[in-house]
Amino acid sequence: MSRKVVQPPSLRIIPPLNFCPVEKQLYRSGQPLIINQSFLQDLNLKTIIWLASEEPQEEFLDYCSMNSINIEFVGMINDDYSYQNVNPWDSLNETTIKKALELICDRNNYPMLVCCGMGRHRTGTVIGCLRRLQGWNLASVSEEYRRFTGARGGRILVELLIEGFDISTVEIDPEKVPQWLGKRDK
Amino acid sequence: MHQLDILPMVAAHSQHKEGEDGRENGQKDVYSHLYMKAHLPKTIQYVPPLNFSLVEDGIYRSGFPMPINYPFLERLELKTIIYLGDLGQEKKEKKQKKDKEKEKEKDKNTTLEVLANYKQWIDSTDITFHHLMMESSQEPFLNQDRIKQAQESLTTALQLMLDRNNFPMLIHSNKGKHRIGVLVGLMRKILQGWCMSGIFEEYEKFAMGKSEIDLEFIELWQPELWVDDKWRPDFVRC
Repeated sequence: MSRKVVQPPSLRIIPPLNFCPVEKQLYRSGQPLIINQSFLQDLNLKTIIWLASEEPQEEFLDYCSMNSINIEFVGMINDDYSYQNVNPWDSLNETTIKKALELICDRNNYPMLVCCGMGRHRTGTVIGCLRRLQGWNLASVSEEYRRFTGARGGRILVELLIEGFDISTVEIDPEKVPQWLGKRDK
Repeated sequence: MHQLDILPMVAAHSQHKEGEDGRENGQKDVYSHLYMKAHLPKTIQYVPPLNFSLVEDGIYRSGFPMPINYPFLERLELKTIIYLGDLGQEKKEKKQKKDKEKEKEKDKNTTLEVLANYKQWIDSTDITFHHLMMESSQEPFLNQDRIKQAQESLTTALQLMLDRNNFPMLIHSNKGKHRIGVLVGLMRKILQGWCMSGIFEEYEKFAMGKSEIDLEFIELWQPELWVDDKWRPDFVRC
């Protein structure tokens, strides 16, 4: 039985800044605000990877605990820096990228959102390295990264980081790998 | 091994022997032996089509797929492809014009070859192909017939996107910017109830600058659609 639709839903949902689906049940965005909560609700998130070096907003943390969403603070676990030295403009390093990718490669963490403050560079770095893990050619990886960087464009250091990252260091458990990643050639 | 904090992949490599140039303690040359190690792909590289992206689970968007993209697309195990464009149409109109320059004649043949090649590839798969005619909105719609045709094509496309039996599905145009941007924008508005500003942000990511009348069209146009709840995809809220 079909029903006729002649207008959009009257209650509109508001996607977070720079939101985009990456793969099945894997999403990327900037820091979600309270106005994005009805949107996030439909995603049924289990895990959020927070890549920024600074703490997310209080409301965001409250939202996650109320919805039993596990937040992984990957950008902040950098052992090489003392906390005072953390600079939000710094890039991620090899350890943090590896940690983020290993969380992404475990389907038990899904549905999952990968985000940082603006959803541009740190998120772009991790998704870029994920694309390399999927076997994408580098030009297409850069094209995707730049799509999310806004008017000021991409950073050459982020692209270098994606290019130079050694994907063979990522430890993937074949039992836990998401179906879309498992299809790649060994 | 010496490492730079800012770029951990750039490190000192031993193929440059220290002291070789006799200036081993010179401040100036302290970083001249830094290299980035290339990681050559161990498997074949997969090349997604231009402007490729996931739209929702089961729907991908892109520009026109070329032979270099076929291995990538084959792994998506697509059931349906929707092409919004006028590649076949163009040729008929051009044929009516006399005195074609040789250059343009050549262009036309290349385009036809691309289309023929693409259809041949689709025939070699189990993909159902829908070629829906739609003129580029870069040239403002000239007459009512063309507007009507575009609206019919978009309605058909949205109707196909409302049935998850058609998934996984690829929707594409030539560059994956404007025509597909309009279709995705309409999907976000009508099927998912996104706010307009979120739709415009997404449109801009792919169109990069020119939007012409596309955004107005997304905002103002409303087709009549039929939803069968039995086959409605999970992302649909209407």
